[in-house]
Amino acid sequence: MMILNKNKMDNKMEVNILEIINTVLNNRTKEKLTSINPEMHLRNDIGFDSLDLAELTVRIEAEYDIDIFEDGIVNTIGEILKILENK
Amino acid sequence: MNIFLKDIDNDRLATWDNLIDDINNSSIYNPYCKAADYYTVFKHIILSLLIDEEVILLDSDFTESELINLTGHSDYDEFIKPVEKSNLPILSSKSELIKKLSNSTKNWNVTLFTSGTTGIPKKVSHNFNSITRFVKVSGRNEKSIWGFAYNPTHMAGIQVFFQALLNGNSIIRLFGLDTKKIYNEIKDNNITHISATPTFYRLLLPCSEVILSVERITSGGEKFNEKTFQQLNEIFPNAKITNVYASTEAGTLFASQNDIFSVRPEYEHLIHIENNELLIHSSLMGSTETNVDEWYNTGDVIENVSQKPLKFRFLNRKSEMINVGGYKVNPLEVEEAIFALTGIKNVRVYSKSNSVLGNIICCEVVASSKQITELTLRTFLQSKIQEFKIPRIIRFVDALSTTRTGKLKRN
Repeated sequence: MMILNKNKMDNKMEVNILEIINTVLNNRTKEKLTSINPEMHLRNDIGFDSLDLAELTVRIEAEYDIDIFEDGIVNTIGEILKILENK
Repeated sequence: MNIFLKDIDNDRLATWDNLIDDINNSSIYNPYCKAADYYTVFKHIILSLLIDEEVILLDSDFTESELINLTGHSDYDEFIKPVEKSNLPILSSKSELIKKLSNSTKNWNVTLFTSGTTGIPKKVSHNFNSITRFVKVSGRNEKSIWGFAYNPTHMAGIQVFFQALLNGNSIIRLFGLDTKKIYNEIKDNNITHISATPTFYRLLLPCSEVILSVERITSGGEKFNEKTFQQLNEIFPNAKITNVYASTEAGTLFASQNDIFSVRPEYEHLIHIENNELLIHSSLMGSTETNVDEWYNTGDVIENVSQKPLKFRFLNRKSEMINVGGYKVNPLEVEEAIFALTGIKNVRVYSKSNSVLGNIICCEVVASSKQITELTLRTFLQSKIQEFKIPRIIRFVDALSTTRTGKLKRN
């Protein structure tokens, strides 16, 4: 059972994003996350490199049909959620 | 302080005096150079030039099986030899070092490896003249401070290194750092010149800062889009932004400030266009193991914009190489590595366009056993090929989407 940010326990999108991030981390044999929050920085906090970011955008696009990096690189989880919410 | 190299990731701050001391104290030499530390690589190249010996540059992340494929060895200790002190003059100053570098290179050549078209990376060697053909040494360049944004064992990195070295400039490592550190390094060191792939620049965006020290931004290796160009212009308002066309075989050949490349008149006779494909004369090439005809077909399809002066625009590549953030990946090499895992019945490696890297490597796999998972395949590939060659999207299928009767479509 994954533990999520308290206020967003019922946020399906956040659960999905956490799962996608964990797939990318697992693929590089990096440690999985137990939770995410909007302030988390994709590169500085989660440790993604450009290959990971490229994979992340493909996996999110497969799920939500939107390229999160289309208008430039996004840096935080909050920015991803905002793009997806505004879809 | 007169910095030669600053590399915060390896905790290095070396002055030109440190470099000269280390060179003067060198007692052994190994033609093979495989190191993650930029200073070690650069010092190795400089030492090879001074003693006029070949240097073979290996990526620090080559796997053991890649090393054996490429060089026949995975350990290079047996190649260590003492440096003949009589061949290594004692240096006293930076200007003396730079002067000696260009004078002592009769036998010297540098060998590096590039993705070949046959499935195995191929060896390309350059002598001093061909590697420094486009180096501009002048008083104007004396004060340049280079942001180093390439792998130091790849062609583009070596060319930036020589441009900085022969002008006695400082090199500040930016490659592989996170965005915040990159900006800090650019500002703290007043970097004036950056040469990098479009992917490197894309990862710097968006940014609300304005940095005035940067005078020149060069980009190459994949297509640079208009939006990135505009955003960079806002961050670096004093920078002239240039696209270059370069290859491992020939190094930098052309530059442009938009998507139209013009050829300098003195090189026009060495460029040939046939069926809209770009051919370059063998005299512009490094030497490879395979025989090169008089004209080398680059595999690039171009549109001829004007004949005199010669100008053209790149349309696409005819070859099947996949450009992943400036690194060329040969799908055949990746397929071969996947096939080496027992239980793989068929595989197709292809590319998908990607907003971060330009392209991303994907594959479809037909496996005979349920034991093979995405993770087991990845773990296996990590011991076989470099990380950027490993497919990021792996689909297990019952049959490939196209048959093996003809060539598999990769896009």
